[in-house]
Amino acid sequence: MLGPAIAWYLVVGSAIFAIGAAGVMLRRNPLIMLLSLELMLNGANLVLIAFARRHGSLDGQVFALAVMAVAAAEVVVGLGLVVAMARRKIEIDVDLLSRLRK
Amino acid sequence: MIAVGAWVCLLAPLGAALAIALGGNRLPRRAAGYLATGSTVLSFAAAVTALIATLGHSASQRQTVTTAFGLIETHAFRINLNLLVDPLALVMMLVISGVGSLIVAYSIGYMKGESEERRYFAYIAFFAFSMLLLVEAANFFVLLVGWGLVGLSSYLLIGFWQERPSAIAAAKKAFIINAVGDAAMALALFLLIQHAHTLDFGGVFGQAAVLGENAWLINLVAAGLLVGALAKSAQIPLHTWLPDAMEGPTPVSALIHAATMVTAGVYLIVRAHPLFEQAPHVQQTAAGLGAATLLATGAIALVQTDIKRVIAYSTMSQIGYMFLAAGIGAYGAAMFHLVTHAFFKALLFLAAGVVIHALGGEQDMRKMGGLRRRMPRTYVAMLIGTGALVGLPPLAGFFSKDAILATAVSNGVYGKVLFAAAIAGVLLTALYSFRLLFLVFSGEESELVKKSLPKRKRAEGPRWMTAPVAVLTLLAIGGGWMQVAGLWHPFSSFLEGVAPSFAAEPSVSREWLLSAVSLVVPLGGIWIAWAIYSARTQQAPRAPRALVEKLYFDRAYDLLFYRPAVSLAHRLGSWFEQPVIERSGEEIGTSTLLGGRFAAAIQSGLARTYVLLVAAGVSILVLLFLVLR
Amino acid sequence: MSAGNILVWIVWFAAAAGCIGSALAVVALRNALFSALALIGNLVSLAVFYLLLSAEFVAAAQVLIYAGAVMVMFLFVIAYVGWNLDIAWTGGPSWQTLGGVVAAAALLAELVVVIVLGAANDLKHSNKIAVNFGDPASIGRVFLSNHLLAFEVISIVLLVAAIGGVILGAQRRRERTGGIR
Repeated sequence: MLGPAIAWYLVVGSAIFAIGAAGVMLRRNPLIMLLSLELMLNGANLVLIAFARRHGSLDGQVFALAVMAVAAAEVVVGLGLVVAMARRKIEIDVDLLSRLRK
Repeated sequence: MIAVGAWVCLLAPLGAALAIALGGNRLPRRAAGYLATGSTVLSFAAAVTALIATLGHSASQRQTVTTAFGLIETHAFRINLNLLVDPLALVMMLVISGVGSLIVAYSIGYMKGESEERRYFAYIAFFAFSMLLLVEAANFFVLLVGWGLVGLSSYLLIGFWQERPSAIAAAKKAFIINAVGDAAMALALFLLIQHAHTLDFGGVFGQAAVLGENAWLINLVAAGLLVGALAKSAQIPLHTWLPDAMEGPTPVSALIHAATMVTAGVYLIVRAHPLFEQAPHVQQTAAGLGAATLLATGAIALVQTDIKRVIAYSTMSQIGYMFLAAGIGAYGAAMFHLVTHAFFKALLFLAAGVVIHALGGEQDMRKMGGLRRRMPRTYVAMLIGTGALVGLPPLAGFFSKDAILATAVSNGVYGKVLFAAAIAGVLLTALYSFRLLFLVFSGEESELVKKSLPKRKRAEGPRWMTAPVAVLTLLAIGGGWMQVAGLWHPFSSFLEGVAPSFAAEPSVSREWLLSAVSLVVPLGGIWIAWAIYSARTQQAPRAPRALVEKLYFDRAYDLLFYRPAVSLAHRLGSWFEQPVIERSGEEIGTSTLLGGRFAAAIQSGLARTYVLLVAAGVSILVLLFLVLR
Repeated sequence: MSAGNILVWIVWFAAAAGCIGSALAVVALRNALFSALALIGNLVSLAVFYLLLSAEFVAAAQVLIYAGAVMVMFLFVIAYVGWNLDIAWTGGPSWQTLGGVVAAAALLAELVVVIVLGAANDLKHSNKIAVNFGDPASIGRVFLSNHLLAFEVISIVLLVAAIGGVILGAQRRRERTGGIR
């Protein structure tokens, strides 16, 4: 195989995942949170594809496609929520939506 | 046949106790009494059947063991629920069920109108069962079970009148002192299990010689059994509970604390005689303690003012005689005295009960007097009982006590010392028992008597009470004729197979000489008592402080055991229990609240926090996996 | 080091820089619109990686569907909701910020350690692959044979998401018409 070994791809994938995780934990804007969530999923995808190449098996790629589909579905629901909130003039700040506590 | 008799004898009273307990309020009161009496009579009939069947066997074949089921079964060790019917057991069974049925019948009259009558009869039937279990046991384990149940019944019956704090205290005292004895016995049994690998009488006694080679072992085992016997039979130094036990109803005092339970210690020594014979020092100690008890309690009886306490001290004194006999190996004599003592001591208690009942519950002798004319039949019964106690021929006690005295004097230096104590005891017995008789029955009628008994009427007790007294009177007269020294001794030969006496037999002439001596001494005592108490010609000497204080035993135990225990309990309470246990209960509550508040802080409601926690958890887990790989 | 190799390395570094840089941008920027655009950049860089890893179909799908459809939807919503909103960058309890950074860093560190450790033996070489590795026909074959169940379940998930989207978007009659009843 030409280029860097599989390990390099894995490191990049982990980095993208970690950055996405930090974004989810730190940002208060729900839209940015959803974007960070997408980052995490993409990081995992990269790792999957890399391993598929390593083992020469297509299962990893199939799994990555499934992840993409699920991510799309999840984004639909998440954005639907944000739009519904905005329409009802609710403040879209995740920290203010602490109804779970009460 | 024998087996059936043994089981019926044992279980009949238990059945009555259960029936009364389960019947409860639905059972009529009289029925409880009849049930209990009927069951003990049935028990007696079964015991007689077993006796006749056993006599049918030849002398060497008189042991029958019957098994119910296994209790503990391991590969190294087993205990079954076994009953043993042999001459020794039969003697005890007959005494317990025979005298017991008379006393239970007496109770029907004595306890009439009592608010808790049924409970009484349930308890007393249960006691009969426990005592029979004790004597019919074929191994030490069942014996110990019976021992403990008897202690329990005694506790329940002493404290029968629960409203009286003195009764409750007396019951506790009896139980605690008996617990000391039980613990010592249990330790002895543990040693037996460890070294003999069995608790069956046959197995243990068969190995007695082998066990005897280990001096420490056999002495510890015998000492443990002796301590148990001392506690149960109220001998020095574990005797302080018996006088207090007079708080219970008089029939209870008669049955448990005169005729049967307190004789269990003697039974134990005679039953386990192979073990004691291997530990001669312990056996001699038993004789010595018996002698000490008979002297000390005889002296204390002289200054008692309560009629039942005098008889209680007299019981301890007489059991001292039995311990003396068993201690020097005269088992036949010890058991003979046990039987005759059961007769006349029960008679004394029951007659005293008639007096107490007639005087409305009064037990202080100083308030009595002149009852001879008012209760002549009771007077005659009491007179015969006292005569038997003192040992006047031809009444029962004469033959049995003489046998003990004669054997003592024929057995070496130690025996002669014991004899001296025993003769002094005879003098004391005559003194205190006739003192009682004169104080209660002679002289002018006291105020109380005039108030309690209607004029010009003979006020004996109800029929249920007088009939057993009459029967016991006859037994006190004729009971001793079972064994007349030198002429015929069916009693000792009956027991010979089980408990062969090893004491040197006195010669016939020596016996008759001693009989003469032991006639003169009590007559002298009676004369002194008559002089002081009857005619009231001389002022009774003032009671020495030491005797009134019961030789300071109670005081000593109070200082040695009770006070330190209470103060230790208080100190533990304030140093340990309060700060550690109670406080920690509080602390647990407080810290749980704090923990809850802290945990609640985690529930911030912020979704990002939850994600953080998940991420943190995952990273920790991964770290663990990395490290542990 | 052949010329092809060097070329691959250069492309790899470029794509890596693009990935990581855009990822940081997504997380750090205040303006949601720019964050979404940064994510598009990230997706495209990832597609380059996929090409380097012989996953042609997935790369195409990534660009077409992910960057093309999903991100466009995102941009629509951002446009509707607004991108200059007055929302704090971060907040919450003081330990949240620090904790978040630490946790993410810890995860990254652990993953790197594992990879480096694994690089000793398991990741050293890659299997040889066939020429048609990663092309649509092969993926289709795998989907419809080994992973048929996953295939069907994904379609159901998408259906559910679509229904959910419709429900979330539906308005109550009263709101809309303002009290015709």
